[in-house]
Amino acid sequence: MLYRVAGQYKTSYQADYALFPVRQDAFLLGIILIMAFVVLPATANDFVFRALLIPVLIYALAAMGLNILTGYAGQLSLGTGAFMGVGAYACFKLVTIFPEMNILVAVLLSGFFSATIGMAFGLPSLRIKGFYLAIATLAAQFFLVWLFQKWGWLYNYHTSGAILVPNIQMFGITVSGPTATAMAQYYFVLGVVALMTILAINVTRGRIGRIWKSVRDMDIAAELVGINLMKAKLMAFFVSSYIVGVSGALFVFMWRGAAEAELFDVQLSFRVLFIAIIGGLGSILGNYLGAILIVALPVLLNVVPRALGLPISSSMVEHLNTMTIGALIIFFLIVEPHGLARFWQIIREKLIIWPFPH
Amino acid sequence: MKRLMKAAVATTAILAAAAFTAPHLLAQDSLYVPNLSYRTGPFAATGTPLMNGQKDYMTLLNERDGGINGVRIDYDECETGYNTERGMECYEATRANAVVTQPWSTGITLQVLPRTNVDQIPVLAPGYGFSPMADGRTFKWAFNPPSSYWDGASMLLNFVADGDLSSLEGKKIALLHLDAPYGREPIPLLEDYAREYGFTLLPIPVAVTEMQNQSAQWLQIRRESPDFVFMWGWGAMNAGAITEAVRTRYPMDQFFGIWWSGHDGDLAQAGEAASGYRAVSWNVPVPDAPIMGEIREHVIDAGLSSIGENEIDWVFYQRGITMSMMLAEAIRTAQEEFDETVVSPEQVRWGLENLDISEERLEELGMSGMIVPFQTSCANHTGHGGGWIIEWNGERFERVSDHLQADRDRITPLEEAEAAKYAEANAPWPMNDECEL
Repeated sequence: MLYRVAGQYKTSYQADYALFPVRQDAFLLGIILIMAFVVLPATANDFVFRALLIPVLIYALAAMGLNILTGYAGQLSLGTGAFMGVGAYACFKLVTIFPEMNILVAVLLSGFFSATIGMAFGLPSLRIKGFYLAIATLAAQFFLVWLFQKWGWLYNYHTSGAILVPNIQMFGITVSGPTATAMAQYYFVLGVVALMTILAINVTRGRIGRIWKSVRDMDIAAELVGINLMKAKLMAFFVSSYIVGVSGALFVFMWRGAAEAELFDVQLSFRVLFIAIIGGLGSILGNYLGAILIVALPVLLNVVPRALGLPISSSMVEHLNTMTIGALIIFFLIVEPHGLARFWQIIREKLIIWPFPH
Repeated sequence: MKRLMKAAVATTAILAAAAFTAPHLLAQDSLYVPNLSYRTGPFAATGTPLMNGQKDYMTLLNERDGGINGVRIDYDECETGYNTERGMECYEATRANAVVTQPWSTGITLQVLPRTNVDQIPVLAPGYGFSPMADGRTFKWAFNPPSSYWDGASMLLNFVADGDLSSLEGKKIALLHLDAPYGREPIPLLEDYAREYGFTLLPIPVAVTEMQNQSAQWLQIRRESPDFVFMWGWGAMNAGAITEAVRTRYPMDQFFGIWWSGHDGDLAQAGEAASGYRAVSWNVPVPDAPIMGEIREHVIDAGLSSIGENEIDWVFYQRGITMSMMLAEAIRTAQEEFDETVVSPEQVRWGLENLDISEERLEELGMSGMIVPFQTSCANHTGHGGGWIIEWNGERFERVSDHLQADRDRITPLEEAEAAKYAEANAPWPMNDECEL
């Protein structure tokens, strides 16, 4: 009905390869973009911006970075939290050393620091695979967090050992720090995330993405057809850590406002990994769906009893919340083990052939 | 499938609608006082009695007096589980109508602190938060009465030195601390003292993930055999340290804690073996204080409290009561000054700045001896009320010292320097220039 593809003829190969072979997909994306850029900012209050929209976008970006490495190139990593930390600390140092630098430039540059470090910690991937690689990246996780605590230069020797985001202006609008409005921060994050998403979609659809997928599916076969494994794997680590680093910089500068080293511990890595797995490995859309389930749903569940005026204590809500989210994760993984992105794909296919069952 | 989809769409719609109307809607004649509580998570054991105390005092005011000067207190908890992410979410969810915010965790305090200037909401962090917050000229909206961590460190040093710091020369003091901003807090001050009085300071960090396994740290303590061990511990770390101290037979009379390390629940695990352990505290449980009788009558017996058995005389439960008392007194002060019953956050800020918790006032409140008397001003947001040493006797904590005072002459310049550093790092930082003191 809504997804009828009848009448949409492809007359060239190019049209068949297009980003949206079905017209309705482009239409749907248009609606989502209008929602994100116009409707939501017009209706949201500070709570919605700061507790729902901004964190979902930032976590989705971090999961996208991890997904490139784990979902597309097949290299399991548990160091995401630390790489986010590298991005955040790099951005903090850039901003404090060069106060006149544009914050957008600083955020985009800080990704290169985490990309370099991510690549260095990706070197073991040339020899080890799977769970063993996960353990090797876990070393990065613990080492980097330790470094964030011990190396005073990183946090400008502040007594609390935390980094605090100063007020930063961009084109006359404060976008970071305590005086920034939630809307300015939202648009900044949305812009960066949209840019990164376009990049990621195109990289994963093109030659490089195909190389990664072949390495993921069978690395020996990939090597036999002439793919340079070292280049492919290190490039995956580079691109992935770059995106993760940018998300880390946004995480602290556009959302948290202050960060201690402990923020980037293994818990954060797991959280991002869960988003990627539940959303769907090897998909870009999945990261957003996963982030909505893991990040936004608990916040929503927390406000429901309050809004309905139910006399449940806040700690009880928290317990119920944990149980609900846990049950939902199990439910979704049983119904569709390949993640929410695959779930959407099935719904879409069913809609296309509707009303016929097959 | 279809029904499932419909249900999902309906639920999403309800959730979204709820989110957009989230900020607490309240009746005009009540004051919304949220608390970012942590009754769940790794620190729940310490958080729960504190939250119970805070809640019960506010309930008492509502039940007995119908609120403060006739305005009911709408006390509300938002659960954070001591998680900074949740903390920010709770801060955003509650701040719109709130007259105060109580962030609880040091991590949340750090995030909220710069925002308070913009959001114009006072932060009440009794006995925690970072010590330079005492400088009211820099931190216009933040309050940490009645004593800061640096006050605590100074009082402990003076106590172990019997008032004569030069007697510490050549001694060795180990600082067993949580490896987090909170635990590192006393280090600059203690180092400063160590340089001047010639004792050795040995900071021994305990990582947050290693709180329950401190064998390495206690091995080090045994090897170094320091004359005193000071502990800046929190949650499971306290119980872990005390168990290890008992096991390695470290003399309990040389082992001292800050007020967050003096929790009955932690000590009860070691019981008799830990007797002799002391902590500095700005509150002491007074079982027969008149206020406790009233709480028993109006709150506990009425079934309005969620307190556990025998917890009423815990240090932390009664500390929670004194914390709510500070806030209630600030609201009362503001009401009287501005002659309004429903006060604004700005007016509560004034109230917190002009708190006068004197002996007489405590007597009137029925809280004599439960908390140190103190007085705040626009330049002094801590009040520096000092504290007492409390000792674990195997069953409960008892007061064993006179009223101690911190070495203010030494701490003040350090506070000012650190506050200036903070303001500089966060430039442009608004200073409270109206304060003339």
